[in-house]
Amino acid sequence: MKKTLNINIGNSIIHIEEDAYEMLTVYLNEVKQHFAKSADDFEIVTDIENRIAEMFGEMLNSQQKQVINIQDVQSVIAQMGSVKDFESSEEEEAEEYIAPPQFSVKKLYRDTDQAMIAGVCSGLAHYLDVESRLVRLIAIATIFLGGSGILAYVVLWIMIPRAVTKAEKMTMRGEEANLRGFANSYLQPLVHHSRGFIAEFLDVLGNFINGTGKVIFKIIAAGIIAFGSIAILSLIVILAALLGIWDSNIYQLFPLSIINQEYITVSMFAAFIVCVIPVLALVLFSVRVAFNSRPMNKSLSFGLLIIWLAGVAVTTFYVVKIGSEFKEGAEFTQVNDVKTFQTYTLNIDRTRFFTKEDSLRYSIDPGNYNGRRILTDLDHNFDAPRNIRLNIEKSENGKTSLSQYYKARGKTFEVALKNAQNIHYDFLQHDSLLTFSPMLQFAKTGNWRGQEVDLTLKVPVGTKLNISKDFSRYLDGYGYWDCNHDSNSEFTAWKMTDAGIKCEHEEAENNGE
Amino acid sequence: MIAENTQTQMRKGILEYCVLLIISRGEIYASDIIAELKSARLLVVEGTLYPLLTRLKNNGLLSYNWVESTSGPPRKYYLLTEKGKSILGQLDSTWQELAYAINTSKKVADNETKDQINLNK
Repeated sequence: MKKTLNINIGNSIIHIEEDAYEMLTVYLNEVKQHFAKSADDFEIVTDIENRIAEMFGEMLNSQQKQVINIQDVQSVIAQMGSVKDFESSEEEEAEEYIAPPQFSVKKLYRDTDQAMIAGVCSGLAHYLDVESRLVRLIAIATIFLGGSGILAYVVLWIMIPRAVTKAEKMTMRGEEANLRGFANSYLQPLVHHSRGFIAEFLDVLGNFINGTGKVIFKIIAAGIIAFGSIAILSLIVILAALLGIWDSNIYQLFPLSIINQEYITVSMFAAFIVCVIPVLALVLFSVRVAFNSRPMNKSLSFGLLIIWLAGVAVTTFYVVKIGSEFKEGAEFTQVNDVKTFQTYTLNIDRTRFFTKEDSLRYSIDPGNYNGRRILTDLDHNFDAPRNIRLNIEKSENGKTSLSQYYKARGKTFEVALKNAQNIHYDFLQHDSLLTFSPMLQFAKTGNWRGQEVDLTLKVPVGTKLNISKDFSRYLDGYGYWDCNHDSNSEFTAWKMTDAGIKCEHEEAENNGE
Repeated sequence: MIAENTQTQMRKGILEYCVLLIISRGEIYASDIIAELKSARLLVVEGTLYPLLTRLKNNGLLSYNWVESTSGPPRKYYLLTEKGKSILGQLDSTWQELAYAINTSKKVADNETKDQINLNK
């Protein structure tokens, strides 16, 4: 039994066996290539095709058969003459024609006849003309280099086509897919089947996918298409939103505030490409699985890959560029005296600021800082990295003071210092009530460059402190929660001792014993 | 190699001349031209003929008619144009000249060899 094909040659439909078809294709390609340099190539090739069709017709008639086989093709070629025969009787100028270089003959295919997994390595080995064992060894070595080999393998698996036909297998080996090569390959089959067990397993898996598993995979693919489409859509919406539909205040919020204003458009677009193309590829692949459609257009997939790599390159460029702005660190300290009281109440300012737009809407004078406040007492999730740290220490000189220690990073020390000076931190004293701002402000619009402030409140020994729950969030390592016996009360009482602040409750207990 | 080259040159001109001669006898199909050439023992593969016919046609020496065929697609039947006929006439006289040149050269050569044989005796 042999597979046959229907071909249309010289406007007649001919049934032809598969191997005969391959041989005929190779022959006609050679003929076309040979006459390509002639101005009348189309006419000549058409004449030749018509004549071949006629010869096939005669053969089918005279031999009372249905199908053209490889012997028929061979005899037709013998009668028509090979390209070599044409060459010997051509004009002299034709001899100046330079044959296309040999290396263009070789093409990269996956060799599934000698595959360990999917034939990527053996295909590469054929292409590079080295032992397939060597390629496999290198491939395994790259797995240990951060697993990049696995990713590369999968990418190559998807991108490199499998050598299916004899002509493809021959071009894979770099043998010229011409008639002589063909004759050889029929005399001695060049395929030595030596397949790894994984390749065999994948075959079984492939059969499973083709059969019972198909439905399951289709369902999964449909799910991926649905979620992938939503993901792509939302990425587009996010991109559009970030690139100007939303108000520009979004860039003042933490993750975006890292990016310099002038880089935003390009870097966002690049990041979008980096995110969207893998999803798009996954969706297209799922479409293929779900609807049994043809493989993706090769130039399209290559194009996508190139765009993606370009996106990765641009994103990397900006990451490195912005990363370099964190190179140097700078810091300075500012000490403020605080009016001395016996007892202090420490709290966090729970007011919020109007946005610029809201200030305008409510006609609030933007010059008047205090006028821009409204009260909100909602618990706010701080999305910025923790950038305020509070410490309470013993004062050596009997005075109360607040040290503000500003830190920031920048490309150079000067820039870092400028960034640190750009920090605006609010601290208010109303008699014994000390109110701390919950967040940093920038005096001028700026990017997030690791700005931090460490606040150290120094109080004399014996000073009592009422610390609010909110305030305690900014304290590290004082065991605030151990002290908080009455969890309903907003404040807990502390006292400064020689060994630092102590929970007054505990202190009383200790003293009582 | 040199012999081969000369042979090819000779054959090329003669093949063209022969093809024109065959066509000059009346409308004819390409594979019949091949058959004629074979019977004239001028061996050539069909593939060589098509470029030649196309070139002659483009130079205005030949034209063709489409003729319905009982087996398969319509066939191109070639015939000589007026220009082709006049060029064939020119080729005829050239061939006469060439044949004379060769015959004469051969005679001289034959005589020379005979002379040499006589001298050796």
